[in-house]
Amino acid sequence: MNSNFSCKTCASADQKLETFISNLSVDTSHHRMEGQSVKCGFGLQGICCRLCSNGPCRITPDGLKGVCGATADTMVARNFLRAVSAGSGCYIHIVENTALMLKKTALSKGVLKGKVALAKLAEIFEIDETDEYICAEKIADLVLADLYKPDYVKMELVEKMAYKPRFDRWKELGILPGGAKSEVFAGVVKTSTNLNSDPVDMYLNCLKLGISTGLYGLTLTNLLNDVMLGEPSIRLAPVGLRVIDTDYINIMITGHQHAMFAYLQDRLIQDDVIEKAKAVGAKGFKLVGCTCVGQDLQLRGEHYKEVFNGHAGNNFTSEAILATGAIDAVLSEFNCTLPGIEPICDEFKIKQICLDEVSKKANAEMKPFVFEEKETQSNEIIDAVIEAYQARRGAVALNMNADHGNDDTLTGVSEGSLKSFLGGTWKPLIDLIVKGEIKGIAGVVGCSSLTAGGHDVLTVNLVKELIAKDILVLSAGCSSGGLENVGLMSPSAASLAGPKLRAVCESLGIPPVLNFGPCLAIGRLELVATELAEAIGVDLPQLPLVLSAPQWLEEQALADGAFGLALGLPLHLGLPPFVTGSPVAVQVFTQDMLSLTGGQLIIDDNAKSAAETLDAIIEKKRQELNI
Amino acid sequence: MKRIIIDREKCDGCLNCNIACISAHEEGSNFYTVNLQSPDAETRNFIKFDAQQGYLPIFCRHCDEPECVLSCMSGALEKDQLTGHVQYDETKCAACYMCVMNCSYGVLKPDKQTRTKLIKCDFCDDKPDGPSCVKSCPKKAIEVKEVSR
Repeated sequence: MNSNFSCKTCASADQKLETFISNLSVDTSHHRMEGQSVKCGFGLQGICCRLCSNGPCRITPDGLKGVCGATADTMVARNFLRAVSAGSGCYIHIVENTALMLKKTALSKGVLKGKVALAKLAEIFEIDETDEYICAEKIADLVLADLYKPDYVKMELVEKMAYKPRFDRWKELGILPGGAKSEVFAGVVKTSTNLNSDPVDMYLNCLKLGISTGLYGLTLTNLLNDVMLGEPSIRLAPVGLRVIDTDYINIMITGHQHAMFAYLQDRLIQDDVIEKAKAVGAKGFKLVGCTCVGQDLQLRGEHYKEVFNGHAGNNFTSEAILATGAIDAVLSEFNCTLPGIEPICDEFKIKQICLDEVSKKANAEMKPFVFEEKETQSNEIIDAVIEAYQARRGAVALNMNADHGNDDTLTGVSEGSLKSFLGGTWKPLIDLIVKGEIKGIAGVVGCSSLTAGGHDVLTVNLVKELIAKDILVLSAGCSSGGLENVGLMSPSAASLAGPKLRAVCESLGIPPVLNFGPCLAIGRLELVATELAEAIGVDLPQLPLVLSAPQWLEEQALADGAFGLALGLPLHLGLPPFVTGSPVAVQVFTQDMLSLTGGQLIIDDNAKSAAETLDAIIEKKRQELNI
Repeated sequence: MKRIIIDREKCDGCLNCNIACISAHEEGSNFYTVNLQSPDAETRNFIKFDAQQGYLPIFCRHCDEPECVLSCMSGALEKDQLTGHVQYDETKCAACYMCVMNCSYGVLKPDKQTRTKLIKCDFCDDKPDGPSCVKSCPKKAIEVKEVSR
């Protein structure tokens, strides 16, 4: 087929998806890669500055400084800190909304499904309160109070949340964050025209933003959501394009804010709503997961068996999901909602509704979520989706792919569910690591991109290399979406692991790659790492644990990465984060970070050699621990 | 015979061709790692800006009657009859720079560091996928075309 487009689509680690996309008659990101294959060398190295009208200035052999005198080191650091600030802002927006939602839920005595998470937060925050609503409100208030502090007032929950040796080191380095929103503001000001020119100061600032992003944007968003939406529990679930059931009215959800769907997802399975669906010829409503909010729903899927049909794919699968023709509406509330879905929605008559003003799509209806109006808003959304269903079903051709994905992806893994699975203690896992049955742990996290070999290519290849070396992989983010669709999160993937890890997985009936869900759950990996370190009695950099964001995509990923480095963990990236034009940046990230936090950046787009490097780091850390 | 043909109307002055050229001559480097701040970083093509005419990409034309070759007394510059490309042999070069003075397009220059050798387009040694600068141009302002001479 491929009648409308002569250009080649890019490769995908997911062969079935690659074939499906290459045969589509609509333009997707996978088609557009070829036209964008020539990249700007100055942009790749981070040595282009657009901060004033004398520019854009670029560092060339004939122009070693910008007009203002900025060196490559200054330009790179400013560009990088700007990106980290923006990325942090995105996550802080999410945790702010989530905390506000928890507060309003508590005040209105709404549903709080996660009693364990509530108790855990109360313990961490040292709240002694028996009334769960008052307790939840206090938790939300403490989070919000910290987020809204000025940058010169340190956030109070950092010390309660952080592992003590880490907190002490951050304090020594002077990188304890002030109010998280103000820190984003400070990062933006600092990097404006002719302000800060000190690269090292700006990289330390990145670490500070990493801490506020990680502890609040990541870790707390998960835990606050758990209180409202229920804790994850381990189960097997279907994934891929196969989860779309044409008998139902299908709503694809994209974004990062699960709490915005809390009321709607329960409403969709109430009798009167199902009757409405039946009246137009459908069996009812189903939510189809896409991007991280889909991962969040999958993670908590045990609580949403009826309304949630499964996770179909990651950000760069979204266009394909819509092109099946079986999606009737897209509800989006944040990134990663690609602009590329807009013309597809037009062509396939798919209703688009945006729930958060920060992510208004050009041709979508804007319906900012208002907690107090959630009942009315949900009913309006349901009616609009039914209208779209009636207008489009029968008029739009279906192009299903029932073979794509699998039915046995192990999901629902979290710091809590994994510990319960191990019998309520980390000892069994620690014992396996000590004995060498599991050599170490790699958190393979972050986004999906179409670079570094193609869609999820480096991620999947790296993970295969790591598990073959008996390294257990934990994944969170769009990386999980790719890894689950190719079967690496199914128990049968144990056969791809090295002999020792394989034996462990087979005896427990688990895959060698554990699915923690959305990118937000990088915060859950940090909790696992911290609890392991605590149990062993070491600091995080001493653990045989590495991080990799092989196909990091966006600014948020850079803020996540800054958190990883602040935690003192080795962090691998497939492609450099636009910093290689600065010798100082390269020195700081790949060498000096070891003495600052214990962290280290490793850049390698080759799966085999990257896995060897990470394996060598794990081996070295094992030796240092005498195991 | 292959030549780099310029369509100046398409040039945006992005200088990607410069980076590609420097990278092609820095062994083992790529667009991420090429050291643009190194004293050795030399580009064999140039983009000049003219207020009236806009960007002017200046590339070696491997001329049919190359002034550089005609003025070279040591035999360091020769026109390859098969490929049509003007080749430079550093070992024969006396660094007299008559070529620099005689080049009609001002594309030749001595190296910055030692001023003992000529910096000149080598057509990326006729690599099968073509010269690096052409591959790196996002606007297709430079293209390799087959010419009769």
